[in-house]
Amino acid sequence: MRLVIARCSVDYVGRLTAHLPEAVRLIMVKADGCVAVHADGGAYKPLNWMNAPNTVTYGDQTWVVTNPKGETITITLHEVLSDSDHHLGEDPGLRKDGVEAHLQELLAASPQAIEDGMVLVRREYPTAIGPIDLLCRDADGRAVAVEVKRRGEIDGVEQLSRYLDRLRLDSSLGEVRGVFVAQQVKPQAKLLAESRGFRVVQVDYDELRGVRPDELRLF
Amino acid sequence: MLADALGTAGRAATGRTGALPVLSGVRLVLDGNQLSVTGTDLDLTIQLTVEVGGEADGGVVLPARLASDIVRSLPAGKVELEVSDDNVHVSGGRSQFTVRPLSIDDYPKLAAPTTSATTLPAAEFGEALRQVVRAASTDDARPILTGVLFSAEEDGLRMVATDSYRLAVRDLPGQQALANAQRVLVPGRALGELARLVGGGADLVMRLGDRDASFEVGSTRLTTRLIDGEFPNYRQLIPADHPNLLTVERDALLDAIRRVKILARESTPVRLAMGGETLRISAITQDVGNASEELDAEFRGTDLVVAFNPDYLIAGVEACTGEHVTLATRDGMKPAVLRGQDAADYLYLLMPVRVPGS
Repeated sequence: MRLVIARCSVDYVGRLTAHLPEAVRLIMVKADGCVAVHADGGAYKPLNWMNAPNTVTYGDQTWVVTNPKGETITITLHEVLSDSDHHLGEDPGLRKDGVEAHLQELLAASPQAIEDGMVLVRREYPTAIGPIDLLCRDADGRAVAVEVKRRGEIDGVEQLSRYLDRLRLDSSLGEVRGVFVAQQVKPQAKLLAESRGFRVVQVDYDELRGVRPDELRLF
Repeated sequence: MLADALGTAGRAATGRTGALPVLSGVRLVLDGNQLSVTGTDLDLTIQLTVEVGGEADGGVVLPARLASDIVRSLPAGKVELEVSDDNVHVSGGRSQFTVRPLSIDDYPKLAAPTTSATTLPAAEFGEALRQVVRAASTDDARPILTGVLFSAEEDGLRMVATDSYRLAVRDLPGQQALANAQRVLVPGRALGELARLVGGGADLVMRLGDRDASFEVGSTRLTTRLIDGEFPNYRQLIPADHPNLLTVERDALLDAIRRVKILARESTPVRLAMGGETLRISAITQDVGNASEELDAEFRGTDLVVAFNPDYLIAGVEACTGEHVTLATRDGMKPAVLRGQDAADYLYLLMPVRVPGS
């Protein structure tokens, strides 16, 4: 990723013509060839940009970016204030459900929030059909499979059922029961979970994080 | 008249039909000159009977929203509905609509309530609903809190609702609508609809069963499933006494909070600074601005500042009756009690919002 902060003007010629008058801007040239010109505001759209594939011709004071359609962006550099190059490497992608993973992590650290006397055996306990979120032991020493969801819906209950079927094949664990934990549990999911003998626990994410909300509650 | 009936019954029809698409419709059944209009989502049912000029008995289910929009859009005057094999023709003035009905055979059979009836004064009950339902939660994640508790007290009926931030309690002395020590939890959504139906004059007939409650106002009947579960022990939340008591004119307070609220953005609370003979209401939103207003008030106690969610505070003040309201407080972290001055039958308990220095 090449980052250039420069006093520059930009001209686009393609479906229409556009001109950015001289000002200080950030020019990004990404490893895949994408070029973007940003002002100092807004998090969404660059002022001007061209997606890869394209060709960048670097002159002393002028860069010309051309794509296969013949559209061009001409960046005229009047003064370069900073020019740096960074190797960012492979991006792991967006983790859409960070809350759910964090919830699992917090409950692994405080299994007593699920049930008094609960202790963690292992997080991500492996089974043949994938890992169960938490395997714990309750106050009586019985194995407890815990499925953690941000929103408790029927799919999650079905998932816990499948894991329990697998875990019960492992005689070394002894008797295993299921607990379905979520920030919010849909009434249908609660009904299904309880009909299958699972305990349903609603947890407060902010409370687990130790965040004191400004809004005090009556109970 | 038909537009109102379709609109009212249509509010019980559901947009989320799941396995039963017919629930997105209203059922119209003509018997002589009586047209019965029904909407239901199986939890809440609203049925009305209106007098019409009937020509041939029969029934049909029309898409609720569409039927209401069509009839409401027609010019004032007579509306004709004619049912043919596959279509319903709606006409009024020089407008003609043809609508494909939903299958009436799929419409659920709804039984009329059979439990014994209690008659309540509609105006007083309607006012109580408006005072209490506002404190019920709308968050389905805690279904118990979406209900309003009806409980039999020694001297009458009590209605209670809470969303855990506020609690509203209204007593209806002399109304023996429940059996001794009976408690039922009625969905706030159903009671909100009932509050819209209850007018000034007529009586209201209530029937409470084990699983359902029904309310009849004039020719309209609303039936709702009851919520199963244990309501929180609210009595322990109501403080026995408060060291500080503010008395202020109700309407002036409402207007002032509404003005100051304009600068209470992004969940910013409004602050009430009490002391001497003045109440100062203020709000500060970082990077936006601030607002403040002073009101004449009577205050007894130690000077203090308490902050509240402005919407919850407005809802509480609106629900109080009388020219003046009292706000009883202990400190900036403990629940405050709002009442109409000299109105012992209603209280609104409200948790403050924590602000720096509270």
